[in-house]
Formats: sequence, C-alpha cells, structure tokens
Amino acid sequence: MTAITADKLITSIQPTWCPGCGAFSTLTALKQALIGLGLLRMEELTIIFGIGCSGNTADFIKCCGLHALHGRSIANAIGVKLANHQQKVLVIGGDGDLYGEGFNHLVAACRGNHDITVLVLNNHRYSLTTGQVSPTSNQGTIGKSTPTGSIEIPIGALGTAIVNGAGFVARAFAGKTEQLSELIKKGMLYEGFSLIDIQQPCQSFNKEQDYSWYQENTFDLGEDYDPTNQSQALISLLDQTKLSLGVLYRNDQRPAYHRQLPQLNKQALVEQFPKEIDLSQAIKEFI
Amino acid sequence: MNLESFNWKISAKAGEGVMSSAKLFAKACKRQGLAVFNYYEYPSLIKGGLQSGQVYTSLHAATCQHRHLDLLILFHENLLMDHLAEIDEKSLVIINANTFDKSKYPEVKAKVVAVSLSKIARDQGASPLAANIAALGLSACLLEMDLSVMSKVVVEEFAKNKEAAKQNLAVLKAAFKVTRQLLKEAVLEPLGVLVSSGVDEQLLLNGNEAIGLGALAAGLQFYSAYPMTPSTTLLHFLAAQQANYPIIVKHAEDEIAAINHALGASFAGVRAMTGSSGGGFALMVEALSFAGVSEIPLVVAEAVRQGPATGLPTWTSQGDLNFLLGAGHGDFLRVILTPGDMQEHFALTKLALELAEKYQLPVLIMSDRYILESNQTMPKIAIKQKNQRYNILNDAALGETGLKDGEYLRYKSNKNGISLRAIPGQTNAWQLSNSYEHDQYGFATEDAVVTKQAIDKRAAKLEALKQELPKPLYLGAKQPKKILISFGSTVNVLRDVLLNEAAKDTAVIHLPCVYPFPTLELEKLIEGKNAEIFVLEGDATGQLAALIRRETKLDDFHSILRYDGRPFYSEDIVEFLKNQKLDKQYRLI
Repeated sequence: MTAITADKLITSIQPTWCPGCGAFSTLTALKQALIGLGLLRMEELTIIFGIGCSGNTADFIKCCGLHALHGRSIANAIGVKLANHQQKVLVIGGDGDLYGEGFNHLVAACRGNHDITVLVLNNHRYSLTTGQVSPTSNQGTIGKSTPTGSIEIPIGALGTAIVNGAGFVARAFAGKTEQLSELIKKGMLYEGFSLIDIQQPCQSFNKEQDYSWYQENTFDLGEDYDPTNQSQALISLLDQTKLSLGVLYRNDQRPAYHRQLPQLNKQALVEQFPKEIDLSQAIKEFI
Repeated sequence: MNLESFNWKISAKAGEGVMSSAKLFAKACKRQGLAVFNYYEYPSLIKGGLQSGQVYTSLHAATCQHRHLDLLILFHENLLMDHLAEIDEKSLVIINANTFDKSKYPEVKAKVVAVSLSKIARDQGASPLAANIAALGLSACLLEMDLSVMSKVVVEEFAKNKEAAKQNLAVLKAAFKVTRQLLKEAVLEPLGVLVSSGVDEQLLLNGNEAIGLGALAAGLQFYSAYPMTPSTTLLHFLAAQQANYPIIVKHAEDEIAAINHALGASFAGVRAMTGSSGGGFALMVEALSFAGVSEIPLVVAEAVRQGPATGLPTWTSQGDLNFLLGAGHGDFLRVILTPGDMQEHFALTKLALELAEKYQLPVLIMSDRYILESNQTMPKIAIKQKNQRYNILNDAALGETGLKDGEYLRYKSNKNGISLRAIPGQTNAWQLSNSYEHDQYGFATEDAVVTKQAIDKRAAKLEALKQELPKPLYLGAKQPKKILISFGSTVNVLRDVLLNEAAKDTAVIHLPCVYPFPTLELEKLIEGKNAEIFVLEGDATGQLAALIRRETKLDDFHSILRYDGRPFYSEDIVEFLKNQKLDKQYRLI
C-alpha cells in the first residue's frame, strides 16, 4: 500500500488552464485534502473525470482514474463504487457537465445516497468551448450562443440535491483553499452522497465574477447555522443576494446505497468473482 | 390414437391470464418429456386487446410455432374470426361461453364447442379469471395427459400463496371432470393421447432467460438496465438472482446511466453487462464508443423489436442490424453475436463476456422479440460452470502487484493489441482509462504519431479475435438446389422447414456471428454448390443481404424479407419451396 504524498500525485503534464484559473487553487486544495486525510492510500482512491476544463484535471493528478464522457461521470462512479465499495470514489466535473448534460445522473445519485464525492468546478460558463452560458450563468448573460442575453434563470442545483436525498452538500470558493480543502475532506469522510459546489473564477470567459466579486459576494456560514436542519438549508439557498460557504446540509441518519445490499456484507463484489458457479438455483424455474 | 405432436393455443384479452396458462401447458408437456415451443402474441397494453399463447409440442423436435391449430381455446366468441386462418375442419375450438351458434359463422370449418370455463372456476369459489386454469384441466382431459403432472405444475406456479394454489388446483380438477362428462355425453370427442417420452431432461426457458443463465455461468457480476420491451425479462431474471449469486442488478434512471454504470463496474474489475431494445440502445451508443476507445470490456444485449422509434413495442424484427454495425461514433472494433436457439443464447452470452474481457472491447448480442419472449426446450446444461480471468493484472486480485511505481502502462503497445488491464485497488498500477485518444499511460493526446499507433494497436486485436468467433452453421442437403441463409432467431423456423419432404434438396446456413463477418467460412460453405441462394431476414431493406455483399464475393442471390412484426412461419417457407409462391406478407427481391 502506498501513502498519498505530494510527489506521488504529480504527473509529467503541466496544467493547461489559463493563468489565474480557479482550477489551479482547486487542484491544490484537493491534493492537500487527499494528503491530509492520512487514512487514505493511493490504492484506495479512484477519480472519475468529466469533460471540460475541470475534467482535464485527469492529466494533472496521478491516481487510478477514468476520464469519462461529458455528463456521465457520476453514472460511471456509481458502477465503480458498487463493484468495489472499498474504494473512495471521487468525481470531478464542471457546471455544464454535471448540472447540465448529466443532471439526471446527479439527481439519481442523491436519491440513492451513493457513497461518492462529487466536486463541481462551477465557473458559470462552458469555458472549454469558448465561453457559452452554462446552467449556473445569471439570467441575461451575453455569450456567443446567447447574443441578446440568456433567458433562463440559474439552476437550483444544491437545493435539488438536498430535496432529493443528498446526504452532504457544501459550497466552497476556490480562492479559499484551506476551507475548500477541509470541505473536500469532510465530504470524502462522509459515508453517502456528498456534493461540493466549488465557485471558480474563469478569467477568460467570466469577467463579471472575478476574485474580487467573490470576495464581496460570499460569506462563511456561522456557528449558529445548523446543517442538519433541512428546511433551514433550503431557505438559506433561496436567498441569493450573497453565496454562503461551508456545509449547507448534512444527514447522518441515512445509510449509503451499498450498505443496503446484502451481497456486499462481507466482501467487495470484485473479490467475489465466481471461479466456480453452481447454476442449480438459477435453473429451478426452468425444470 | 397416439399424438406425437400437437399445436395448442389459447386466446383472450390482455389481462386474462393466457400467458401463464400457455406457459403452464408448455411446462406440463415438457415434464412429459416432449419438446416444446411456446410463442406469445400480445399488444403493448396491460388490459384489453387480443393476447394469445400457443404451444407446439412434439415427441421429436419443436423449434418454432406452427400456424395450423389442433386445439384453440377462446375466452370470447368475438375473437373467433381473428383466428380463421389458423383453423380448419381438423381443428377443435373451445369457446368460453354457455352456448355457441355456429350458423353465424359459415366460414368456420372447425368444430366449435361452447364450454363455460368461467363457470367451472366460479363453481369452485374461484374468480372467473381462473378460467385460464380450467382451460388446462380441459386440455389435459382431451389429450389424456397425466393430471398429476399438470396438478404439480399448477401448484408450483402458486407456490407463494397456498390458498390460491388450493383453489386453482380445485378448478383444474373440476375442469378435468366436466370435460370427462362432456366426452361421455359425446358433446366433445377425444383428441387422442398426447404421448410421453418418459424422460424429462430438458429446460424450458425463453431467450432472455437463456442469456441471463449464460451470463451467470460466465461470472457476470453487474447488470444495469432500464425496462424496455422485449429486453425487460432479462432484467427481471437477473434481478431475482441477486439472492443467490454474487451479482448486483441496478435498475438505472435511464439507458445512458445503465451503460455508464456497467462501464464503471467493468473498469473496477467485475464482468458487466447492460441490455435494452433499439430505442434504449440508441441512447447508449456514445458510451459504446467510449468502451471502444477506453478498452473497457462491455457486453450489451440488444433485444430488437419492430421500429423505427417506438414502433411496434411487442412485435419482432431484425431491423436493427445496420444500427448495431454502425452504432457509436469513430472507428472501433466490436463483435456482434446473433444467437438462434436457447442453447446458443446461453453459450454465446458466456462467450460474449469472455471475449469482452479477453479483448477489452464491446460485444453486442443481437436477438429479437420473437425468440427472447418465446419459451423453448433446451438440453440440460452443466450445473457446475468454471471461469477464469483474462488479461487482468494479477487475475484481478487486489493489493500487491509486484510492480514498481511508473512501470505499469495501461495501454502498453503490444503486437496482438492487448494490454494487461489494471483495476482500482492494485498497487503501483496507476492508470488513466480515457475517452480521449491517449498515450500508453492513458494521458490524453492529440499527437499524430501517437494517435495512429493507438488506433492500430486496438485494431490489431482483430486477427486473434476472429479465431474465437462462432462459425456459420450448415444444415440440410449436402448438394442442395436451394440454400437459405439467415441469422439470429430465424434458424429455429428453418430447422422446422428442413423436416419437410419439400426441403429435401434445401440447405440452411445460420450465422451466429455477423461481425467481424465470417467471410471465408461462408464463401467456403457455398463454394462448388450449384444452388439458388435466398437470404431470409426480418427487415424491409435487406440489411443482412447488403452485409453479405459487402463482406463476401457472393452477389447472385435473392432476399426474402418479412417486416410486419411477425416471425417467419415454417409453413410459408415450405410453400415457397414447393410452389415458388410467397405469402403476401413477405417480400421477395
């Protein structure tokens, strides 16, 4: 077994993100979290990457990884977890990837409380395709595909997740790496579905929401905030004047999906490959 | 009179239990040691619409449905004219009614007798719906079948509800008694004695169940799907196996999730499969392409029904062949297996999972509504099945691999195109399985040289793969005047055709695999034979014919097409062989 150390996580490829991209900070925070978890070994981590600037993290972190299709990484992650529930399974994707193309899978993962951690690198734009509006763009955002401004309002992804059974929902800002790192750790230690929405500046295609905008428009949830109170969490999300950062919701009462499968009581599925199989039970109805 | 074969049918409105009635009759015949083919027709409705179940049973072979009925049991008089083409003066029709006025139906040549099966059920305190069980009692009596065999089959059917079992058994016995009385009164005449071979050694199951059994035998551990007729019974069968085998079955939120779950599970080291019908498979094809480039083993069972779009949900077709050949963007290697009978559905599914793992590619099993939802007898299989892992690091054992950090390459170039696959949980085997084109480690690349090498590496698998694919099957006359070529389920009908005198100069070639196409094998089978060739397929445009023209030297042949949702009928092909006349529901080109 191999301890997770900074040098183990390095790949030979230099990140291709634009200078000042929030993804740099997110990657730093992620690596800090993985190293800081202490308990986790390299062999116990699988990361599924989406497609987009966020998904390109695949080339910049060494691990056991699957660079999947646009929008489908959560569906892959559930398959990985069920096949080997001893793995910590992490998903890294963007707002277009996970809240747009693959939103159905996110809702399904919440409903099942699958024990995976999803990091949404949310820069409010489709940046790899040169900056169109995304599901989280503000109404009226002008882009190449919406020359007169977008008509849709931003998606209420976190509220949807909470209503649909996600056990752990948090919001972070890439500029606050320490807080982000702590939230990733908490999410990964949580047994059940954890969603961490990471607000990320995009210097190239989202000039409005830059670092200073985030500094002015975010606040940390205080000591008095009770994340186990579902209705309070939902009410706080309705107030969009400023973005709250921290653990928005947490439910420690609901068991994760894989805990409810008797097939996995003793061993991971992958360790139960039937080298010999007796079909007597299966053919009973055909006799 | 001994009956060595018999053709039985029950017809009612959807929701009246004819499917289970036919299945139970089929099972009783199987228990008598007879071969059975049990075919259903039903609308895409839960209640209403014509629904029928038929059982062709024989002491010798029963590979398909037959048109001419010996006994037809109708729940409603107004269904009689729907079955006119299936009955003649030799047929007996029982109508579930108190009376029947034959003078209203001058076209009907068959003997028609009214027997109130519903009343028999009601008299036993059961719901009139138990008429479907009364039909079995009546049939058993008319055919002098062993009532204890039929009783056992009925009791087993209601094993979960003792009260229902008791009541249905009473209905069965009462119907048997009533029928005996009607025979005594000469209202009915005996049909003969349905013989028994005395050896009950076969299994009775449908194509989906045979696929499921083959998958279990191959060590399938993960199946995810979204319900869609006619693939749904595979989902049901495998879901029920979770109680006894190390397998997880996931009903996914949609087909895109289903295939991506399966890919995730396969990536993590278990044998995985998904299934759907054409419309659902259409949603999966991006991920099929992903499987191709990332070399993640995957099996997809495509249960073809009549399209396009929603089409005829409960009717058969082979019209997805072109779709399967081209499904997925970009160039990548795939296998398309097209099993015919139950044995082949079992064996080729096992092979599919092994090939997918060995060659790290997608394997498609194409079958159709006709055979997937028909029950057919097949010889018992080996109860104990053995499996081994292929081309996975450490045979998929987790933990130490003996590798040094940096040594392992997921896509290491190799002459035969196959690289050892690592799975999560193995030491020093870090990798990136990638949907982007990638280098040997798995990192995304756009380099021209690396791209070509990667594509050539994957394509190199073809040579070894070809040696392991099932070969075309040649049946019938050695020096034929006519050769009938088909794929998938049609061989079941053509086996029956070959039993006829009219087919003594006919041969059949069945293709259990259509891609990679068995070019040399098919050419060799036809070489030197001076025969007229016909390609039979269940689509409107001759998709198999076009494939044969593309992949072989063969060009001089005709196509016999059927594309009305119905299967081929042995009688129609025999008539064609005899008189060169083809029923108007077929097209000859």
